Amino acid sequence: MSAESILRVEGLRTEFHTESGLVKAVNDISFELARGETLGLVGESGCGKSVTNLSILRLVQSPPGKIAGGKVLFEALDGSRRDLLAVSEEEVRVLRGKNISMIFQDPLTSLNPVLRVGVQIAEAIQLHHGLRKREARAKSIEMMRLIGMPDPERRVDDYPHQFSGGMRQRVMIAMALSCKPDILIADEPTTALDVTIQAQILDLIKSLSARDATAVIMITHDLGVVAGMCDSICVMYAGRIVEKATVDDLFHDPLHPYTKGLLASIPRVDAAASAEGSQRLYSIPGAPPSLVGMSDCCPFHPRCESAMGICRSRLPPETVHAGKGPRSVSCWLHAKEGR
Amino acid sequence: MSKSRLAKNSIAMTGVVIVALYLLSIAVSFFWLPFDPVAMDVEHLLEAPSLATGHLFGTDEFGRDILARIMKGSTISLVISLCATALGSVVGVLMGIWAGYLGGRWDHWIMRVADVLFSFPSLLLAIFVMAILGEKTFNVVFAIGIVYIPQFARISRGAILTIKSSEFVRAARSNGAGSSFILFRHLLPNILVPLIVQVSLSLSVAILLESSLSFLGLGVQPPAPSWGNMLSGARKVMVLAPWTAIYPGLAISFLVLGFNLLGDGLRDILDPRLRNVR
Repeated sequence: MSAESILRVEGLRTEFHTESGLVKAVNDISFELARGETLGLVGESGCGKSVTNLSILRLVQSPPGKIAGGKVLFEALDGSRRDLLAVSEEEVRVLRGKNISMIFQDPLTSLNPVLRVGVQIAEAIQLHHGLRKREARAKSIEMMRLIGMPDPERRVDDYPHQFSGGMRQRVMIAMALSCKPDILIADEPTTALDVTIQAQILDLIKSLSARDATAVIMITHDLGVVAGMCDSICVMYAGRIVEKATVDDLFHDPLHPYTKGLLASIPRVDAAASAEGSQRLYSIPGAPPSLVGMSDCCPFHPRCESAMGICRSRLPPETVHAGKGPRSVSCWLHAKEGR
Repeated sequence: MSKSRLAKNSIAMTGVVIVALYLLSIAVSFFWLPFDPVAMDVEHLLEAPSLATGHLFGTDEFGRDILARIMKGSTISLVISLCATALGSVVGVLMGIWAGYLGGRWDHWIMRVADVLFSFPSLLLAIFVMAILGEKTFNVVFAIGIVYIPQFARISRGAILTIKSSEFVRAARSNGAGSSFILFRHLLPNILVPLIVQVSLSLSVAILLESSLSFLGLGVQPPAPSWGNMLSGARKVMVLAPWTAIYPGLAISFLVLGFNLLGDGLRDILDPRLRNVR
């Protein structure tokens, strides 16, 4: 673990036991998050992004889910280091919301409809610091002012249904940041919002995390969000990380065929305006594989344009690659050994 | 907000007025009764209702004033009904929400016990419990309470099951909330609506159950007046003196009606699907 690293995930595997078989939703994932860094986790729906992050906080519903292996090493400010998968449930509970907190996708369902938002914002502080009602209320108002809520003294007593979608997501952010956590996990925080609000919410997350030097894990399927927000990116496919790189490296020189495909399928305003303006948008052929009973092959090979014989029989190893920042890729095209 | 909705709902308001009238009569009965409800009066046996004698509802086979006995009996009936419903709802809800929230083996066993209790007709179960505990007035509370436990357990378990996998529960867990915090702070307030309605309807059924038990001689013991044992006494003289049966019967019917109207009205008021946008 490097000096400024705050979270290191090693070989994380999460499985779901379903009627149709064992689903390896997260399959041998490793990554590292530095203090104050913003890490993007990108991939299609169902590739295991959310499960990865629920596993970090041990929030995967069990049964049917089960964390089958790996380590989640969290280093607190005082330098103590813990494997979150090995400690007691109570020890993880104390960390949740205080050191690591989450923002969920849908702000409509993530707030309890029968509790006033002020009560919900102060919940984490009350749970972890045992504030009195009046202090908690004052703290809620302070948080609401911080997230740019107009007239917080009055709105602190309102119920979630009295807020717009964007305001609800702001409330969620206030909830998540109320204890000044070390790590904020944002699980597609803007997917349920319309485009004009998305930028505001992203700006808010960006400025508040910069203020408290909070590390952010941003889960998204929107590469535009990643480009604007993140320092480095992990691209996930079928439960595995296929490429890790800094934003600059990834966007200028994608290595993995899947990453190339993703970047090629972003609609570009400038391309549409050029001479061949009416060309069709690229899409990666095929569909993501079923995660039931995955065999030892590159999961992307059925859809890959440069698939070789070895891709069908062996899993590509993670290979470190030269770039402006640290980067690695799991693809036989770039593997140094075993070909 | 809900106060004005209550006032606008004529069904619920009718229920409120009826129940309030009974509460008023109870309050009055503590300070003033037209006659002594237990004192026999051999000179006025089975007298028809009349203004002249002051026996507005007539007298029974022992010459006791029926109005006074109904007023005195309403206290007993309502107290038993309230206590039994409180007992049944608190125990049943606690069992049900834990069963629903924990799931698995807990859920299985708690709900099987509830199924067994459910398989008996409620009056039969109440008689069974009274036979075990003995014929004391306060045991009626236990008998009816036990009848109610599985009903409340089922309703609250079902309601918890539908909301326990909500995003906001997961959000609360990600905030560091423990199981009982989530259950009592987040989930219980969300299922209060069906529970409030059930409480109101249960109050009326408890009145009926208590009257039935007393009618059968298992509940409130004579000479203490209860609507049930008044009807039981009236059975023999009903043809001669119909007022001995009519007035206690009306007392039961109206209170049951009041609670039912209140319950139905509350359901309309509190059901979010029927609620207008504010």
